[in-house]
Parts: sequence; C-alpha cells; structure tokens
Amino acid sequence: MRVRLLAACTAACLAGSAVAQVEEKYGFDVGKFEKKPFELSGYAELRAESFRLNRGAALYKLNFFDHGARTRLDRTSGALEVSALYRHGIATFQATAHGEVSRDNLQSGGRTRIHEAYLALQPSTGLRLEAGKRALRWGKGYAWNPVGFIERPKDPNDPELSREGFTVLGGSFTRSFDGPLQTVTFNPLLVPTSARLNRDFGTGNHINPAARLSLLYRDTDIDFLILGAGARGMRYGFDFARNLSTNLEIHGERARIHGATRPVLGAGGSVTPQSGDITSYLLGMRYLTERDTTWIVEYYRNGAGYTEDQMRAYLKFANDAYDEFLATANAAALTRAGALQPSYARANPMRRYLYVRASQKEPFDILYFTAAVAGMYNLDDRSWSLAPELAYTGITNLDLRLRIFALHGARLTDFGEKQNDRRIELRARYAF
Amino acid sequence: MMTRDRFAAFLLGLLLPLAASAIDGEELLRKVDRNLNPESYEMYRKLINIEPDGRRKEFVLYSVKKGRDKMIALFLDPPSEKGRATLRIGDNMWLFIPEVGKPIRITSLQSVVGGIFNNADIFNLDYSAEYAVEKYEQRPGGHYLELKARTGAVAYDRLKMKVDGPTLLPTEIEAYAASGLLIKTLHFKDIKDFGKGIRRPSVLETDSPLYKGYKSILIYANIGRRDLPDEAFTLEYLPRARELR
Repeated sequence: MRVRLLAACTAACLAGSAVAQVEEKYGFDVGKFEKKPFELSGYAELRAESFRLNRGAALYKLNFFDHGARTRLDRTSGALEVSALYRHGIATFQATAHGEVSRDNLQSGGRTRIHEAYLALQPSTGLRLEAGKRALRWGKGYAWNPVGFIERPKDPNDPELSREGFTVLGGSFTRSFDGPLQTVTFNPLLVPTSARLNRDFGTGNHINPAARLSLLYRDTDIDFLILGAGARGMRYGFDFARNLSTNLEIHGERARIHGATRPVLGAGGSVTPQSGDITSYLLGMRYLTERDTTWIVEYYRNGAGYTEDQMRAYLKFANDAYDEFLATANAAALTRAGALQPSYARANPMRRYLYVRASQKEPFDILYFTAAVAGMYNLDDRSWSLAPELAYTGITNLDLRLRIFALHGARLTDFGEKQNDRRIELRARYAF
Repeated sequence: MMTRDRFAAFLLGLLLPLAASAIDGEELLRKVDRNLNPESYEMYRKLINIEPDGRRKEFVLYSVKKGRDKMIALFLDPPSEKGRATLRIGDNMWLFIPEVGKPIRITSLQSVVGGIFNNADIFNLDYSAEYAVEKYEQRPGGHYLELKARTGAVAYDRLKMKVDGPTLLPTEIEAYAASGLLIKTLHFKDIKDFGKGIRRPSVLETDSPLYKGYKSILIYANIGRRDLPDEAFTLEYLPRARELR
C-alpha cells in the first residue's frame, strides 16, 4: 500500500514538474495579451518592381512620349502603415495612417494619407454609432465589388490592400434570432460632401444618405444596399454568399446605378459625356480541392464599361496622336488623349471580365509557403494578364512575396495596349 | 411462426448491446466534452509549431464559444496575424482580415493558418456535436471510442479516442482521413485546475506521420465560463471581436 502511495505521489510530482517544464520551456504569459486601453500596430514594407515597357502600346506612347525611348523602368518604394486604437468605457477611437515613398528612373515622390480616423460608441453588443473617416467595405466579390458604393476603387491585382475611407456618420443595429432568419443588421449612414469634406466622393453640398440591410437567412448572407441621390446618382443593389458544400462557396452582387456618366471619345477627337442608367453584376465561387488548392473564379459585367468599339476608337486615337507628334512635334492630341486616362486607362475599363485565381497552400509540404497564379481575361477583346506568385511566411512577422505579371493582347485591346507587358515585383512586409 | 419469432429475438439480441453501447458511448463523449470545457466558454491558447531543426513559430489565440455551434477565434500574436478573426456558426465560416476590412465567407475546410495546425485544431466545437460514436469499449483503466464525423465539414473523418477512467478526460486521440490514413495523434497532458470546477489537460501535443520530425503544442490558459449575447457571433461584430476580451 505504502509503495503504491509513494508511486502515486512520485507520478503526481513528475506530472506537476512536466507541466512546469512545458510552460517554462515555451512560456505562456497570458498577462502579456490582456486588453489594454491603447494599442499600436502596423507594418513597414519595401517593394522593388521592374517593368518591361511595351513601346508599341498606346498607353506607353501617352505616358512616355516626352521622356525619350525606354524599354525598362525600375522602381523601389517603401511604405509605412500605423494603426492606433484607444478605448475608454463604451468609446473607441481608431486611426490608421499610411505613408509611402517611391523612386523610379524618371521621378521620385511620396504621400501620406489618413485611411481611417473615427470615434465609435458601443452602448451594447448589438448597437454601435460611428463618426469620422471610415473605410467601409460593401460586397462579396474578391476582385471587384459592383455594390461598393462608398469606397475607393479596388485594385483587382491586389484586392486585399487597405484603402482610404470617406468621412461618414453612421450606426449599426444587430439582432439575432432562433429560426431560419438568424441575424439582421441595419447600417444607416450619411456621407456628407462639401467644399471641405469628401471632395473626391462628389461635388456640391449633399448629405448623401446610404443604408445596408444585412441578413443571415437559412445559412445565406444577403445584403440590400442603397446610396441616395446627391453627389452621385442614386444606386442600389444586393449581394449574397452561401456555402453549397464544405468546399464550395458561391457569391454574387448586382448594382443598378442611375445617371452614371462617363466621357466618350467621338469621331475627330471630340469628347462627349454620356449619361444613363446602368447595371453591373458579379458572380463568383471559391472552391477548395482535396489537395488544398483554392480556386476563386469571378465573372464581372461592368455596366459602366466601354464597348469594344469605344475602346478601340480611343486606343487608335492615342496611337494616331503619337504619330502626329512624331511628324509635327505637336502634342495637343496626345494631351487630350492623356486627359481621358482616368476613364479609359483605369483598371478594367471595359464590359466583361473573367478572373481566376488558384492558390496552393504549402506545395510539396513546404511549410508556410504558398504558390498562386491569378489570371484576368477580357471577354470582349480576348486580351489577358497572368500573374504567378510565390509567398513565404515562415519568418515570424515577415511576409515575402514575388509576383510576375505577363500581359497579352492584340493591337487596340485592353491588355495589349498597356504601357508595360511584363512586370516583376518583390515585396517584403514586416508587421509590428 | 416460431422460427420467425426466434429469428426476431436473435436479431434483437444482436442489436440491443449495440444500441446500449452507442448510448453509453454518446453519453461518455458528452461528459468528455463537458470535462474539457463548459458549453459556453472563453479561453486563451498558445499554438507552437516546432520544426525538425528546432525552429519555432508561435501563435496566441483568444476563443469564445456559445452553445453547440457558435465560436469566434481571434489571433492576438504574432503581429502579422493580430486581428485576424474567424467566426463559425455550424458549418458556416467567415474570416476577417483587418487589411481587407470585411469578413469573407470561406469554405469550412479552408485552413486559416499555416503550419501543421488546421481548422479542426483551432475552431473545434464539441466532439459530440461533430462526431457520432461508432464503437465504444471499456478497457482497463479507461474507455475507448471510435468516432465518425457527422458531416464532411470537419477535417478528420474518424477519431480513435482513449479516455482516462477516473477523470473522464481524453488522453490520446488518433485522427484519420476518410481514406483511413492516420493524419495526426493528439496527446493530452498535464491536468491543471483552471478554477471554478474546470480541471482539464493544459497541454496538447500533436505529432503527425505526414510531417515527420515536426511537432505542435497547444498550451491552454484562463479557461472560464462566459455567456455572451448571440449578437457577438455575427458578421457585424466579427471585426470588433477583440472587444470581447
């Protein structure tokens, strides 16, 4: 009996010392992670890019006609993003500042922006009020968001990048239920515009009311969204997302925009603003294979996009303007074509696009390593871009990413007339 | 007639012990769940991936669970992962990445952290909610259970669980894929008193034949009962999950 007791005591002591050993060896001081009134976080980033310029392309001619012939452009940039959060009672103040500098063969520059700076009051779990600059994100799409009525355009080549918000006054009211309707959230908000506020949202003094009603109904996310008439034409729409199985998700968005306006280049180089009601939509899916490959596929119908004929007319005009410049040294037509770049040369300026991204987590069982390839296909003019990518996150807080972009298309097509046809990019980001 | 009755009695005789063992096994599994955690709880966990050369990568997670099927897991460390949060309601799962700024619906099998951990290690609900007992045996000093996933939404198709007799706590779980391949073995260690009647293993060591030489360790801390409003487990609240602590 004594021997058994002694054995039990010894086992207990050994077990106790084992606990101490594991906790001591690996250390887990929970106190370090307690919620604090003030938090600071962010990242520093270095990026090196090399562009192979396409000297026959219309956008190269528009942007480089007065820089001398170049076949390559190298750029290095650095960015710093800092987020701060302060809590006091039911109030939270949060701000994110983003600064970047860049230098290439032709120029250098930098800028600093406040992405967010807002005060939030949260009297209860289901009620929240917010005032200030806020980066709102509406929609379910990965590469595009037709219902993103109150946000700056997303870069489909880098959809996960943080973006600057707008100054808003808003709130959210959430209720949960038992039954098929599991959650209801209502977000009313105002996006005031004036000479000093939200100038890049639209002109004139307007309060721009907007709202979103979100439901989780029978395991489906559904949002109804509206932005009232004001600085921009009235627009409304809906989105949805649902898992069809454990490895397949589908999503979609549809937006109707009243009074959408865009400049259209006519015959002889005259520009006329074209206005009308348009519909944009997106259908997408996310699929995970047994081998842990994630596929994201999206079809985007851009109601505000240019037709193939309109785009060809613009690109031809730019090419002709360059020829005229070479012949006469008169850059007037080039300047006129260049002024239309915010519309014609923006990301995905045409009507129908297909986006496909396949990412393989830890190929060949290499931990923390991801290989991916993203492709964008213009279904109107059959031009495309392809971007293979390698990412490594094995070093704590350091993300490394290498991407190569290859653009391809015939003359007078979307991707065939971009200023570069190849691009290589290496990014190192350190989080703190 | 007599033959048919005898046959029915024979069948009943065969099935009854099975039914009884299934009931016993299910009850045992529910007890194991409650001994591991209260049904609604909060906890902190440190996840450590150890590579064959000794290199380590560590994550710290805060988790809250409500009822059988609602759970939030929030990354607190390292800074590169800080603020990432995942919401699970049954088989629905959403991931929030601070930079993206909105929750994205993901497939429930999508892994949200690198390394040999997967969702089953991080977002596991009660075993009895995710698995049905297929086989139950009493063994000297404890119990043995074979479990089958109730749906395809969980990472491991089958589990073989050894349960300590006196404490009704798991000591070892083998996790298998549908193909029968052993994916990993979980070793529950170092029983600790977390207070308020919660006494359970504080360390979970994992090894896997698929990742030879690699080891992962979970250390549990501050496990306690916590009953949050349902509104905390919504897409609207997920970006602010850090406020739950």
